[in-house]
Amino acid sequence: MPAAGRLLTARSEVKRACDLLVAANPQTWNGCQEALERAVSELASFQTERRELPANAGARTMASALRTEVQRARRLLESLASFYRGWERILGTMAGGYTASGDPAPVARIGRLCCRG
Amino acid sequence: MSNLISSMMTAAGALDAYSQVLDVVQNNVSNASTPGYANQTQQLDALRFDPSQGFSGGVVAGQVVSSRDEYAEQAVQQQTTLLGEAQQDVNSLTAIQQQFDVTGASGIASALNNLFQAFSAWGQTPTSAVAQQNVIQQATAVASTFQQTASGLATVSQDTSQQLQQTVADVNQMTAQLAGCNQQIMNGDRNDAGLDAQIHSTLEQLSNDGDISVTQQSDGTYTVLLNGETPLVIEDRSYALSADPVAPGPTASNPNGPPHLSVLAADGADITSRTTSGQLGSLLNLANNVLPGYLGDGSQAGSLNTLAESFASNVNSLLTNGYQSDGPPPVAGVPLFTYDTTNATNVAQSLQVSPAIAPDQLAAISPGPPEVSNGVALALSGLADPTAASDEIDGLSYTQYYAGMASNVGSLLDNANNQLQTQQSAVAQAQNVRQQISGVSLDDEATILIQFQRAYEANSKLINTLDQLTLDTINIVPST
Repeated sequence: MPAAGRLLTARSEVKRACDLLVAANPQTWNGCQEALERAVSELASFQTERRELPANAGARTMASALRTEVQRARRLLESLASFYRGWERILGTMAGGYTASGDPAPVARIGRLCCRG
Repeated sequence: MSNLISSMMTAAGALDAYSQVLDVVQNNVSNASTPGYANQTQQLDALRFDPSQGFSGGVVAGQVVSSRDEYAEQAVQQQTTLLGEAQQDVNSLTAIQQQFDVTGASGIASALNNLFQAFSAWGQTPTSAVAQQNVIQQATAVASTFQQTASGLATVSQDTSQQLQQTVADVNQMTAQLAGCNQQIMNGDRNDAGLDAQIHSTLEQLSNDGDISVTQQSDGTYTVLLNGETPLVIEDRSYALSADPVAPGPTASNPNGPPHLSVLAADGADITSRTTSGQLGSLLNLANNVLPGYLGDGSQAGSLNTLAESFASNVNSLLTNGYQSDGPPPVAGVPLFTYDTTNATNVAQSLQVSPAIAPDQLAAISPGPPEVSNGVALALSGLADPTAASDEIDGLSYTQYYAGMASNVGSLLDNANNQLQTQQSAVAQAQNVRQQISGVSLDDEATILIQFQRAYEANSKLINTLDQLTLDTINIVPST
């Protein structure tokens, strides 16, 4: 694959990760991780092949667009994390009340084992 | 016989309860696309079963429970506030950017370049009437473009003021509606699904305008605060905001400068500095920070006026220190530009070529010694590429300074557009979470939290890696 193509592929993978983060569905989180891993792999390959890339402003624009997309992914992941942190505190309060210091009780982690014959 | 009647009653009761379940389901289906509506569940309560005591069991319709979760609602509102701010930023900055031509093909940059070329041509033929006339013509174009840009920005400023008034009016209308809804709740309509939908739809719209916090009280009414402390709705009362322009005080550097905009709470308290997000925050930032950067206010002249004043006064100074003719006696030059010298924020708007100047009054001769017949004209054309700090603003030539103003707007707009796109995704994400979180058991929630925690750690590391890789990539990609 040409070096510039790797940038495009990496960007489309990060965009895919953003879409999965927007869906905010536990079933899609693995897919998000896989998309980001592919993006990392494409960028790593790009860096080893970059000498093939002719000097042009287009490639730099592509790289900037990719960075914007990465920052969007970060923002979406952080906003989801912020939501779940708050939700965990609420669940802790609902399930276990407050600790002696007035903080919500930690949410009990339920371990389950499923055996199938 | 009594058992048979009892059984029939039980069956009838169950049918009645299931009928109510169907009503609730039908209501959910009917309202699937109603803004603000949350699915409801009809709870069924078991009746006591003890035939020996005459209790025949069965079910009875219990409470109708809304699946709405206020925490998830709050998350959507918070993201909507940021979306409203980003949307307004994009709209306003687009209007500002239209006043600056970054290509240099028109507007101030083009007019300045044409004037520098006219100065240069005049320097080659200092007594040419055609060259002198061309200088006057191009100087008029420069003054005109400054006026147009200042006027265009002043229009954006007026539009911003009107938009702020309109946004405040919208906020007041929505808070009055919410107070009316609270009144209905206090009158006993607490479980009315339609009312619930109306309240939450209104709250979501309201969150677009500002940072609101919503608390449901034990009586079912909603208390709404702006910026966490300014009451907008409490029980059946709404508290109206107002927007006012605040002129610079008499002791300000520019007492006649453009006013700032302020937002006042119902008790008259000025909440402008605390109103930093949502559409209101964006409009206030534009009116009180961004636009004054170009047009000035009570404490600053604004970059457009600074450029106009520096350029015009420098040109005038060179011309008035030169000679139209070396006499005897020598005839001193006259200023090319006039502008309002009493108000630093009105320079660009008032800039014009002196109506009294005739082309042959342009002073090309620098008195020296030694006297140079085209010294002033050459010095004027040299302003295009200055070597002296007195011919620069903040170390930049006039055209570079203007380009900096234009590129700054472009950069702000780019950031705002990126922020808007991200925020649209963040709102969609919050809405999806709200939809998924409803009606899930605590056990399932705890499992989701564990799943998310793992996903967060892995994805966060990957994003950090990607961030560094993209930064490296930008640095290593050849730009030309």
